Amino acid sequence: MTTSSAASFDVEAMNQKLYEELQRLGKGTETMANLAANRMNVRIGQTPKEQIWALNKMRLFHFYPQTPPEQRKGIPLLLVFALINRPDIFDLRPGNSFVEHMVRQGYDIYMLDWGRPGPEDKHYDFEDYSIKFLPRAVRAMQRHSGSREFSMCGWCIGATITTIYAAMRPDDGLRNLILLTAPLDFADKEAGPYNKWLNTEFYNIDELVRQYDNVPGEIIDYGAKMLKPVENFVMNYLKLWDNLDNKAVVESWLAMNTWVTDGVDFPGAAFRQWVVEFFRENRLMEATLMMEGRPVDMKNIKASVLNVIADKDHIVPNCQSTTAMDKIGSKDKLLLEMRGGHIGLMVGSGASKRTWPQIDGWLAKRSESK
Amino acid sequence: MSQNTTGGFDPNDPFGNWRTIRDANLDAWAKGMTSLVNTEVFAKAIGLQLDTLLAASAPVQDMVNQHMETYLAKMSMPSRGEVVSLAGRLTNIELRLDDMQAQLDEVLEAIRSLAAAPAPVPAAQPAAPEAEEAAAGEPKPATPRRSRKTTE
Repeated sequence: MTTSSAASFDVEAMNQKLYEELQRLGKGTETMANLAANRMNVRIGQTPKEQIWALNKMRLFHFYPQTPPEQRKGIPLLLVFALINRPDIFDLRPGNSFVEHMVRQGYDIYMLDWGRPGPEDKHYDFEDYSIKFLPRAVRAMQRHSGSREFSMCGWCIGATITTIYAAMRPDDGLRNLILLTAPLDFADKEAGPYNKWLNTEFYNIDELVRQYDNVPGEIIDYGAKMLKPVENFVMNYLKLWDNLDNKAVVESWLAMNTWVTDGVDFPGAAFRQWVVEFFRENRLMEATLMMEGRPVDMKNIKASVLNVIADKDHIVPNCQSTTAMDKIGSKDKLLLEMRGGHIGLMVGSGASKRTWPQIDGWLAKRSESK
Repeated sequence: MSQNTTGGFDPNDPFGNWRTIRDANLDAWAKGMTSLVNTEVFAKAIGLQLDTLLAASAPVQDMVNQHMETYLAKMSMPSRGEVVSLAGRLTNIELRLDDMQAQLDEVLEAIRSLAAAPAPVPAAQPAAPEAEEAAAGEPKPATPRRSRKTTE
């Protein structure tokens, strides 16, 4: 060993480090070349499924069961994601898919895809999505599954929509409602940057909707990334750079990036309502949100409710979900705080070890046929 | 490989050291930026930014729309508004069809359950022998179908 100082400096060790770094750079260059040549496309949403219903841009999928009939749960589960991203996050990649996990546990899984709204859909608001379209998707699922009773899982704005549905249609067969990072209470105007941004008088929502019809997914994505600008615009890419020699990490990064960058436009009227009636006026919590000529009152919810929040959620601060528990009328309701962020709650190794088993455990007890 | 590290600093690993320094700086920067975007000043700035963008693009967009509409009319082609209106009407038709399918399913379900339900036992009535003979060669009416099914 050639050393100038045995305790601090070792030429051989340094050479070894340099060699390792060069090796890593070599592999990384190969990965970069493959990425540039589009030879590393990662497919998301691969669990086998069939489309069973369509209306306008919306589609309802049924995942093929993977367990013997005697091991299947008694009632189906409908997954509803937000309007502004693809629902494929429920089924990201084999081995990292909530859908895959639940199908293997014997659940009969359906997933609603809202589709990409066109200019003709700009007038659809939350009443349309919660009361007009979602009940029709539910009806199609009930017809297909042969079960009137069902469970529903809404995530992010999807959780708001399913909450409204549960409050307005308490007798339509909904037995269990799972809310994931649900934005419901906007009373705390200091909670999170969104509240500040959207409450400012400078935010000209009417002009934005007038010019664009639907708010472009790019603007929504930019807004979401600006919540943590350094993490999203710098550290995210450094993470990829640092792991270019690690195929598993690169593929995982690509899968998430594919989903994140595949944004969906926010229908104009729904966006306007989201900002004005939810964020600014907090109408859902105050039971002054009017639909079908009557207020949406969460006291009407009868289904069992599992409200899952993420301790590091920077998009939907916990206070936007937790306080809603008092308003929900269900006798059987549970608030569950899990580790993770807004998306990390349901994706990744932490999700498969913690969140999914918790949801499965809660739902399994409530999914037997009567 | 060297294990000579002091407080995370390894004199034999310049790249590792650089990464450690970089990550520490980035963390500090990230925390600062996250605090910054959560202020009223930033909210106003981002609102103004959007407002300026919209104010600049509005006249251009209105002009393009107006010219495009005139051009399409001259070319005897439908305008954007007309195509959008047509798409809206198609969606309404789809909604009606979806409702009709659901109603049809309900009717079919009702018919099936009626067919499966046991028929009420008819009151014993002495049938006229000549009427029985007359009915023997004719097709059976719809109502006895139920009783036939229940006896199977």
